[in-house]
Amino acid sequence: MLFIPTLFAISLLTFFLSTNVPGDPVEQMLNSNSEIGSSAKAQAAEIAYVQKRKQLGLDLPTFYFSISDKATPKDLFEIPKKFERQNLSKLINQYGNWEEIKKYYQAVKAFDVKIGNVESDSTNADALIDIKSDVKQLLIEPDNKVISFLINNLKTNAQAASNLLYLQPEVNTIQQLYGDVQTKATPYKKYIPTIHWYGTKNQYHQWITKFMVGDFGISYQDEKPVKTVIWEAVRWTVLLSFISIFLTYLIAIPLGIVSAANKGNIKDQTISTTLFILYSLPSFWVATLLIMFFGGGDFFNLFPSFGVPQTTEGLSFFGKFANYIWHLTLPVVCYTYGGLAFISRQMRGAMVNALSQDYVRTARAKGVDEEKVLWKHAIKNSLLPIITLFANVFPLAISGSVVLELIFSIPGMGKTAYEALVARNYPVVYTVVMFSAILTLVGYLVADILYAVVDPRISYNKK
Amino acid sequence: MDTNKELKQDYWSYVVRQFKKNKRALYSLYIVLFMLFIAVFADFLANEKPIVCTYHGKTYFPILKDYAVSLKLSQFPKELNNVVWSDLKYDFVLRAPIPYSPSTQDILNFGFVSPFGKQDVPSLRWRHWLGTEGIGRDILSALIHGTRIAFIIGLISMSIASVIGILLGALAGFFGDRGIRISRAALIMGIIFTCLGLFYANAVGGFFTGILAFFVCIFIGYLISRPLKKIPILTPKTSIPIDIIVQRMIEILVSIPRLFLIIAVVAIAKPSIFLVMAVIGLTSWTEIARFIRAELLRIRNLEYIEASEALGFPRWRILLKHAIPNALSPVLITIAFGIAAAILTESFLSFIGLGIPPETLTWGKLLSLAQGGKSQLWVAIFPGFAIFLTVTLFNLIGEGLTDALDPRQKK
Repeated sequence: MLFIPTLFAISLLTFFLSTNVPGDPVEQMLNSNSEIGSSAKAQAAEIAYVQKRKQLGLDLPTFYFSISDKATPKDLFEIPKKFERQNLSKLINQYGNWEEIKKYYQAVKAFDVKIGNVESDSTNADALIDIKSDVKQLLIEPDNKVISFLINNLKTNAQAASNLLYLQPEVNTIQQLYGDVQTKATPYKKYIPTIHWYGTKNQYHQWITKFMVGDFGISYQDEKPVKTVIWEAVRWTVLLSFISIFLTYLIAIPLGIVSAANKGNIKDQTISTTLFILYSLPSFWVATLLIMFFGGGDFFNLFPSFGVPQTTEGLSFFGKFANYIWHLTLPVVCYTYGGLAFISRQMRGAMVNALSQDYVRTARAKGVDEEKVLWKHAIKNSLLPIITLFANVFPLAISGSVVLELIFSIPGMGKTAYEALVARNYPVVYTVVMFSAILTLVGYLVADILYAVVDPRISYNKK
Repeated sequence: MDTNKELKQDYWSYVVRQFKKNKRALYSLYIVLFMLFIAVFADFLANEKPIVCTYHGKTYFPILKDYAVSLKLSQFPKELNNVVWSDLKYDFVLRAPIPYSPSTQDILNFGFVSPFGKQDVPSLRWRHWLGTEGIGRDILSALIHGTRIAFIIGLISMSIASVIGILLGALAGFFGDRGIRISRAALIMGIIFTCLGLFYANAVGGFFTGILAFFVCIFIGYLISRPLKKIPILTPKTSIPIDIIVQRMIEILVSIPRLFLIIAVVAIAKPSIFLVMAVIGLTSWTEIARFIRAELLRIRNLEYIEASEALGFPRWRILLKHAIPNALSPVLITIAFGIAAAILTESFLSFIGLGIPPETLTWGKLLSLAQGGKSQLWVAIFPGFAIFLTVTLFNLIGEGLTDALDPRQKK
């Protein structure tokens, strides 16, 4: 039962890794390019942003509580735009007076709205564009020198055309408020630790409670439910994994037995050296070479370089089946060869161990022929550790191989997870990480139970 | 007489002797040492700058000078600033064996020139022995400099992993759940001041000042806890379940797919070699910690530890001077396999274009350049083989160590 706190810790770890990441998921999702548009457009974009943020649940504080300093207000998370929020927190770090910073920020924000309403004409076009970009910059600029420069720019631009002159008092207010921020600075406040308590209305709580009842949220990339995304990916990975695990066991077990039976002689050495070399071959190298040789390069155009059939419509069942096999051959080869060494080595060890047991000697002594000793008597006991190994392989079978899925473009778990990570698609990332963690822990548990089942001498009750 | 001699020899010379019996592992070690030599002297083996040259009557050592320049200790003279080194008319010149830097673009031989085909070079001296890649960079030169990156990453990341793994594993194994006992005052102050330390480290900002602030906080906490110990409620000692804590940490790290964790960190932060090393190191200490823990669980019950406890040595000293040195040998095995794994991880990261800055050519990066190509087989084969060779060699050394350190093999 100790694995529940472990899972809890993992959920915290993934959650905090993701909240501290650069980039704004809301902006990314809206993909808004409405930098300089009409006022109505800009306001619509602002409203859309706030709505999307609420829909994604990002309008809540991140955790049950936050440890920060006295200068940082409790309700900073209510500032909708992430970059502006980060900028405010940088300003707070410098000056430590939220009241003044807030006034300054609101003035700039109001100015930004107002400037959107100004009609552009031939006399003010250049100045207006400058003003607009300067204000946008001002909202995300923490550096003192740049801020002063931008405010001065605003001043000169406001004088550039007669119909912009009425903006001057506003610019002066901004300048004055910024002056207040600097003169009334209370930097000592940042050295006084404070704990803000937010209660259960926070992002983490929302996510984890929904997760526990099976609601994984929606993917940022294509707005599909995460469940669908993962389900689509898992099918490919499981298909591939099970074919290759099956093949691995099918090849590795006889190899292990043969090398155990011929322990120490040439046969054994050849098998173990070959397997050792296979084990050391980097799978992404082998995959690249296989694609070059067999996947439509200059050499043999036998297999497709993409691991998944594009369309299977119009084909009979066997046609589909053959098509899948044709596409999956190269990936399966790459998946399989690496595991061979490990499994057959375990098998060899177990078999060598079994062959040195007394009952094997008894069997030999009473005249059972060598083949029968090997394949009937010894194999039973030596297979047990191999079966338990399966529990360790299982989580890997689900989480898939990032390496091979990327190279062969198989839309399985590994590729999906990788793409989600790079695109900062957190709902998918959380779900994948949590599931692989759960599966790994369950795998360990199953392995432990299997050990006890197959070997009654092991008991977890007494020590 | 022979046995007498053997008795006198210490454990490590025995290990060395056993290791030498395994010829495969021994030769692997020799090749690795040779590659280490290549890694260290990569600049002198493949460089567009000459080793020694006389130019306009003055003698220079451009490669050595380059080190000084990059340390900002010196500057190239004006006439040698921003020059194409291969085009200069020298009075005397001694070039590096491969007269190309990994960044040198040979404009006459760009677009994947084959190592076997015709090359537009003045003489054999300038031939691209392993061909070039898309924009005319020499592959052999990139491989030589890639050796350095691979070795740095393998060695440093495993050093980080070893330090963490040995420390945590030793604490967990030696002290167990009841071994470390501190007073309640120290425990409470420890927790409070660790949190405060983290807060101030963050508030102060900067790497070194932050660490300094953290340790100052811890020290203040320690000073405060000393008088507090005298208060009766705070005097009783509680034990810190260090074993459970370390085991949980290992469990957490193991349950998250490792490559996934590494990609997560590397994809987010700015690309740098140091980041890759740090991340690989910080995620691969679990195996080492497990080994050390298991060894120390055995060692702590041995008689010599009991004896030194009876003699009244402090427990820290027993751990550091007597227990850990005897537990280190199995760690060597893990480190050898770990270096192989770290090099593989780094190659894969640069293969998919993560972690290493784009202008740095590593083995993995070079291999990725072959992707999507048709007949650029050499671009795929050579770097891939370099990765394979290094990984195999370290695995073989690991195997050899396993055999050498296993007392059952003793004859």
